[in-house]
Amino acid sequence: MAEISNYEIYLMAGVLIPLASFFILMLFGPRIGKPVAGWLTVLAMASSCALATITLVGWHADVNTPPDSITGRTVAQQLSIDASHNQFHWADIGSVPIKIGVKLDSLTVIMFFMVTFIATWIFIFSVGYMSGHSDEVDGKSKYHRFFCYLSLFGFSMLGLVISSNLLFLFMLWELVGLCSYLLIGFYFDKKFASNAAMKAFITNRVGDFGFIFGLMMVFFFLKTFDLDQAAIEFGRQFASSTGVFDAGFAINLFGWHVSGAMLATMMGIGLFCGAMGKSAQFPLQVWLPDAMAGPTPVSALIHAATMVAAGVYLVARIFRLLTPEAQFFIAVIGCITLTAMALIAMVQTDIKKCLAYSTLSQLGYMIFGMGVGAWTAALFHLMLHAFFKAMLFLGSGQVIEGCHHEQDMRKMGGLMKKMPMTGITFLVGVLAISGFGIPLMNVGLGGYFSKDEILAVAWDRAYMWHEPIEHHGDSGHGDAGGHGDSGGYADASGHADLGGYGEIDSHGSVMPSDASASSFMLVSDQHGSTGHDTGHADSGHADSGHDDSGHGDSLHGEAGHASGSHALGSVESLKASIPPLPKWMFWLALITAYVTPFYMMRCWWMTFMGKPRDQHVYDHAHESPLMWVPLVALAISTFGASYFVFRPMIADAAGAATDATLVLGLDGVAESAETASGALIHVHEAHHWLAYGVGGSWVIAFFVAFLIYRNGLATGAKLKAAFGPLATLLEHKYYFDELYDFLLVRGCRLAAAVCRAFDTYVIDLFANLSASIVERFAVFSGRGVDAHVVDGVFNGLAAASMDVSDLVRSPQTGRIRNYVLFAAAAAVVVVMVMLYFDGSDYPVVRHASTIGASSAGIQ
Amino acid sequence: MPLLEIGLMHYLILAAAVFSCGVFVMSTKRNAIGILIGIELVLNAVNINFVAFDRYQVVGGCDGQISAVFVIVIAAAEAAVAVAICMNLYKNLNTIDVDRGDSLHG
Repeated sequence: MAEISNYEIYLMAGVLIPLASFFILMLFGPRIGKPVAGWLTVLAMASSCALATITLVGWHADVNTPPDSITGRTVAQQLSIDASHNQFHWADIGSVPIKIGVKLDSLTVIMFFMVTFIATWIFIFSVGYMSGHSDEVDGKSKYHRFFCYLSLFGFSMLGLVISSNLLFLFMLWELVGLCSYLLIGFYFDKKFASNAAMKAFITNRVGDFGFIFGLMMVFFFLKTFDLDQAAIEFGRQFASSTGVFDAGFAINLFGWHVSGAMLATMMGIGLFCGAMGKSAQFPLQVWLPDAMAGPTPVSALIHAATMVAAGVYLVARIFRLLTPEAQFFIAVIGCITLTAMALIAMVQTDIKKCLAYSTLSQLGYMIFGMGVGAWTAALFHLMLHAFFKAMLFLGSGQVIEGCHHEQDMRKMGGLMKKMPMTGITFLVGVLAISGFGIPLMNVGLGGYFSKDEILAVAWDRAYMWHEPIEHHGDSGHGDAGGHGDSGGYADASGHADLGGYGEIDSHGSVMPSDASASSFMLVSDQHGSTGHDTGHADSGHADSGHDDSGHGDSLHGEAGHASGSHALGSVESLKASIPPLPKWMFWLALITAYVTPFYMMRCWWMTFMGKPRDQHVYDHAHESPLMWVPLVALAISTFGASYFVFRPMIADAAGAATDATLVLGLDGVAESAETASGALIHVHEAHHWLAYGVGGSWVIAFFVAFLIYRNGLATGAKLKAAFGPLATLLEHKYYFDELYDFLLVRGCRLAAAVCRAFDTYVIDLFANLSASIVERFAVFSGRGVDAHVVDGVFNGLAAASMDVSDLVRSPQTGRIRNYVLFAAAAAVVVVMVMLYFDGSDYPVVRHASTIGASSAGIQ
Repeated sequence: MPLLEIGLMHYLILAAAVFSCGVFVMSTKRNAIGILIGIELVLNAVNINFVAFDRYQVVGGCDGQISAVFVIVIAAAEAAVAVAICMNLYKNLNTIDVDRGDSLHG
């Protein structure tokens, strides 16, 4: 076991501190009271955040160290490998050891930081929120309980992030689900809240059933739960056509022939089902909007920023266990979700529900990104989304709090004057989610970087997939397809001076799986710039490639890929084995990119701009510092996260985490050198094109929203009337609740009625019949057998023993004289008997006679 | 063997006679002290046997005499206990008629 690094200790401590806070609040909560309980939770999470920050800073430095001359690894890579050996043996299942440990890589570090950072600010907001809300449930103060649950959530979410083992990940996964349930139903005396909590919990169970199924298959096929081990084993079995990929491997499932490859796909889909539940993907999306019944900080933390993102995180972690078919399934689910949910968001009037649907849609983007292979972009989007969506939710919480618990946007309007900080930060969130950015300049926010990259990869998968690499060799890719060098924005000379942004399009360091990684090269372009071997030294900062070649009129970082023929060949054959993405999926995602800014702008405009529509609400509106300070903090961090640290850190993690044998991570330089080569050849070209195609989407959509809602709600209502059935369909959320009500609830009731009838007429018949038989038999055995036979035996025995004892007691007269006579008589009898037998058999008598004889002799 | 010569058999006959008297006294007397006297007779008959057998045994030793001494000691202790029982009997029943003390009869 290698030495445990400080990072592992920091991360583990960061996980355990909220747990300690949970136990303190659970045991002493009522005595600690209000508001100390809240601040204690904040303190605990802030300590975790401090540890996370130390870890992040240290790790970021370690990632950027030059590789060791002997091992060829950076310090971070070495630590990551060491951490994978630092496993504690926990239990055995059969002969398979279950080991727990910290999964230490850039993704863990960055995700850990994101969760602790956002959670800290949301906890602070919660203190303010709870001071303005009732903390009484059923007439008792549950103030401490709220923060107790939040602490528990903090623990389980962070544990989930650092878990190196799918089984532990699953346990903590269930724990976050439990916390979600407890917090949605915090006001459990309100019927709608407790119903929403149950709906969330039950819907998640549906997904988790698939998850368990997938885990079972992982265990069965790969004989391990460890993420890295499982991936290695999966790749090994694929490469050598053994195990599940053995040509002869098949099972017969209810008469249905299932081949091993199909089972591998089912394994991936099974694991993804867990993500479908947690990340509320179609068709399990129904719980998330209802979950808005929970307190707003809960919505922000759990149902926007962290827990729902855990599904995407899970897919990122099991990326190496996916088959192309499973990946395609993921893409389809994501595509359906992102489109359908964005459309619903257009007609929502409840401010929180509107944000909830936008969350669903954005989660759909992330899942879609995973599905098309945009591993880095999807996670980058996850991080950015966590920041700005938490901020949006907190903003909505502030609005709701300020407006006297009014959630209907139709009654708001003009709140900008009363709540300037909230309005501005909300606008920042709107811009971020809309992908605000200015093409041709390296200026943008949030989705401009992440969402557009997902689209670029999707475009690549849909249109350029099987084009031979040579055709695009001159436009090769120097970097991650980060925006920096993606033509449109790049205007390339910007790289050198935009220090922070330069980092974004850095490669991140490539995780080499072996020495052949050094064949990762940038080659010269037609301008004659010299390509240079980036080897490892450059893998951390691929923008060095741009310095050479990305200037001038060239729109692209002119760096092509060349790599060892072996690696290229394997990637090419892998690419050839993966079918291109259906074009409609790309187009749906693209169109939704226009819908997103529209509904977000509509939401913002209806809330903050225009004329106040409800004077009462308007008069009541106010903001409090405890609530808007976190908003500002999150707004600033949204800017920061868009430019610094996050993108390269994720790209760094991508190397090891997508080192796939069956599916490809396409963006970032993500891939380890072997698989990377050529994978992203087209993406930045797509990005260039998309820069105009999508980059301006926010302008158009904002303008449309402004036109419609500038004069109040009348135009919107008219439009809705014009669309008629379509609008009704959206307002009823495609009748999913009704469908589930019809299929599942009514179905259950129908099944229950059938069962009841069966019970009444069949089971009861048998039960009654057998009861009457038993009864008759009981009467017979009781009155007949028992009363006469059994009782007769025992009474007879008793009477007999009574008679015997009477007989025996009669000689007992109580007179001593009688006893003496008996004794004497008995003695006489005994002597008589002895004499009768001639004494020869009785030693006493014989002895006496001997004595007599001898005595005679003496005399 | 001349009849008048005193031998073991004479002692045994004497002991048997004393024993019989003792038993007769025990079985006929209603007075507790009388019964006690009967017991003493029985015990002394046994003592006569012990001493006689000791005197006429083949191998030397004084086992019988020692046993007789033991019996005497035991008889003394027994007499003390028996007299105590008699006193308690008198205390409870105002009589030492043993036929009255029959409350445990079957």
